[in-house]
Amino acid sequence: MPELSYREAVRDALSQAMRNDEDVFIMGEDIAEMGGSMGVTQGMLEEFGPDRVRNTPISEMAIVGSGIGAAIQGMRPVVEVMYEDFLTISMEQIVNQAAKHRYMSGGQLKVPLTIRTQGGAGWSPGAQHAQQVEAWFVGVPGLKVVFASTPSDVRGLLWSAIYDDNPVIFFEHRTLYGLKEELAEEIEPIPIGQARVHRQGEDVTVVATGRLVHEALAAAEEAGQQGVSVEVVDPRTLQPLDEDAIVASVKKTNRCVVAHEAVTRMGFGAEVAAVVQHQAFDWLDAPVERVGAKFTPLPFAPVMEEYVVPHATDVLEAIQKTVQRDGSS
Amino acid sequence: MADEVKLPRLGQGMESGTIVKWLKAEGDQVEKGEPLYELDTDKVTQEVEAEASGVLLKITVPEGEADVGTTIAVIGEQGEDVSAVKAGTAQPVADAAQEEGSPGPAREPERGREATAAEQVAEARQPAQGNGAGARIKASPLARRIARERGIELGSLKGTGPEGRVVAEDVERAAASPAPATPTTTLAPTGEVERVPLTSLRRTIARRLTEAWQAPAFQIAMSADMTRTQSLHTLLAEQTKEGEPRPTVTDILTKACADALMRHRAVNALWAEDAIELHPSANVGIAVAIEAGLVVPVIHQAERLTIAELAAARADIVARARANQLRQDDLDGGTFTISNLGMFGVEQFVAVLNPPQAAILAVGAIERKAVPTEAGFEARPLMTLTLTCDHRSLDGATAADFLRTVKAFLEEPGLML
Repeated sequence: MPELSYREAVRDALSQAMRNDEDVFIMGEDIAEMGGSMGVTQGMLEEFGPDRVRNTPISEMAIVGSGIGAAIQGMRPVVEVMYEDFLTISMEQIVNQAAKHRYMSGGQLKVPLTIRTQGGAGWSPGAQHAQQVEAWFVGVPGLKVVFASTPSDVRGLLWSAIYDDNPVIFFEHRTLYGLKEELAEEIEPIPIGQARVHRQGEDVTVVATGRLVHEALAAAEEAGQQGVSVEVVDPRTLQPLDEDAIVASVKKTNRCVVAHEAVTRMGFGAEVAAVVQHQAFDWLDAPVERVGAKFTPLPFAPVMEEYVVPHATDVLEAIQKTVQRDGSS
Repeated sequence: MADEVKLPRLGQGMESGTIVKWLKAEGDQVEKGEPLYELDTDKVTQEVEAEASGVLLKITVPEGEADVGTTIAVIGEQGEDVSAVKAGTAQPVADAAQEEGSPGPAREPERGREATAAEQVAEARQPAQGNGAGARIKASPLARRIARERGIELGSLKGTGPEGRVVAEDVERAAASPAPATPTTTLAPTGEVERVPLTSLRRTIARRLTEAWQAPAFQIAMSADMTRTQSLHTLLAEQTKEGEPRPTVTDILTKACADALMRHRAVNALWAEDAIELHPSANVGIAVAIEAGLVVPVIHQAERLTIAELAAARADIVARARANQLRQDDLDGGTFTISNLGMFGVEQFVAVLNPPQAAILAVGAIERKAVPTEAGFEARPLMTLTLTCDHRSLDGATAADFLRTVKAFLEEPGLML
């Protein structure tokens, strides 16, 4: 089995889908000769040619808008928005057009569009290039939202996103591109809407997304040393959400921590906490703890950035809070 | 057209019921199927659902006892004239203060009434000790649920969570500790005799057990070696999936009794005065101690259930018994009863018949005792089974045959196959 990085896994899903299917093509800023600013699409121009690997002007509105048009016409476009911070410019196209056509046409139109984007802190890109904005899209009916955290998940989920007949916002995390995993040649599609339990545990459930999945796993390891058994669940798809898996886990452990890199306030974890308190109220032995970035624009200075976004130590602290007795005793 | 809400007959032989409290106020919108009021019959207290949707125009029996069929309220459309509806012939128990009260925004009196009901509940639940009048007890939802299911008083516990919150572990510790401190510490005020008015449940227990005393009863006892049952129990407990109730020795005993009853149908019998009814299914009642007294919810057709299913059924009825949520059909139809005091360390005891059933089995604790063997003595886990039989339905030899089968099943569970 070849070892693929997260970056190569994304490329592999795109390439296999394009070999498999004439309707699939990719579009975005600098994705052709340059191979994308993160190097995801390197070599694809050579294999598929300029008609299917298309450079675009610097206009996110045009990128997404033309993607929607192509999708309605029967193609399965995968467009790249270089930084998720720039999704703001294409918001009208995503929220008012892509998400609404199927509904407003009474099902006569479909928008099988995948919008790939990436972001995240950890390398000092500054306040306009490091945000995590996934939660904005979870609140828009008509969209599906995916946030994959491993090479196998990113490949299997991107495949399912491409072949989904609805617009999918597909989040990748900048710091995960180098993460490697052995993968089979053949892609095994991962259904949209299915969580993954990364680690079984008895005492606390950590529901984590993106980079924080790995921070949660490290925290779980550390907690294990201290005799606290932690279960780590990655929803992988934020919309639709695998509520059953999360609730089942919390009913088992009776405690819950939610963790993501985005700001805590109005973050995706708030929704998870609401689901948990409602569906597992009688099973909760402690308040749901939240882990996320501090409520401030992301600083450029590395030490400041590190201070603002959450790490394994923050997850561990939250885990301890849920199992801790009165601090004094 | 307004619908009259009439006091329903919830079980055979029910003549009247006591309305404990209304869950809706006059003027409230009511949906069909929504709980409307709490009704106390001589067996259970249960919520009764509305049979029609509309506005609760009038409550004619605010509280107290009423005969079956009495009109107790009217549901209809807003503004409908209900003056023609006759008030029910009820005998209000306590505060008959508000009768025809103003149907408008009767917020004040209504709140007053709710408070009374809430206080009653609080009084019933809370022994006269500490915890400050009306003070909210800090406890996690899980701790509350476990306390509710096991009938543990939260106020009696010391919370070890943040800011003194009672967490699940505190409740579990209390449940595991041998003598619940709460009831024993309730000292009656010196020099005064406390009169505890009878609840309808207590009255029923008294009446039925007095009846039972008049039946010619006899008892037989045997001890069973529980070695194999215990290893089966361990095995089943290990195999229990997450979230499913763990089978107990009682569940295996229920299975053994149900299967033995199918082989000795004369024991699965009811005394019907002019005949003896032999029943086709083993509907096994399990005596459950609850705060208010004793109830015997029934596991129907127990012979058809696996031990895992019996465990689930037992967990369900016991939980609901303790939460005061049994329904009439949980209590009806029993053909045999098991009463287990083993968990209290009782070695053996004699149960009083549960008429019209022909027999009731009293089960003691499993105790290690010296048993003579060829090599000398060996410690074996023994459990004493005492069967009380109604001699009108059953004779000694038949009863002994049955009990021998139960013993054989417990000593070699494979024989049940």
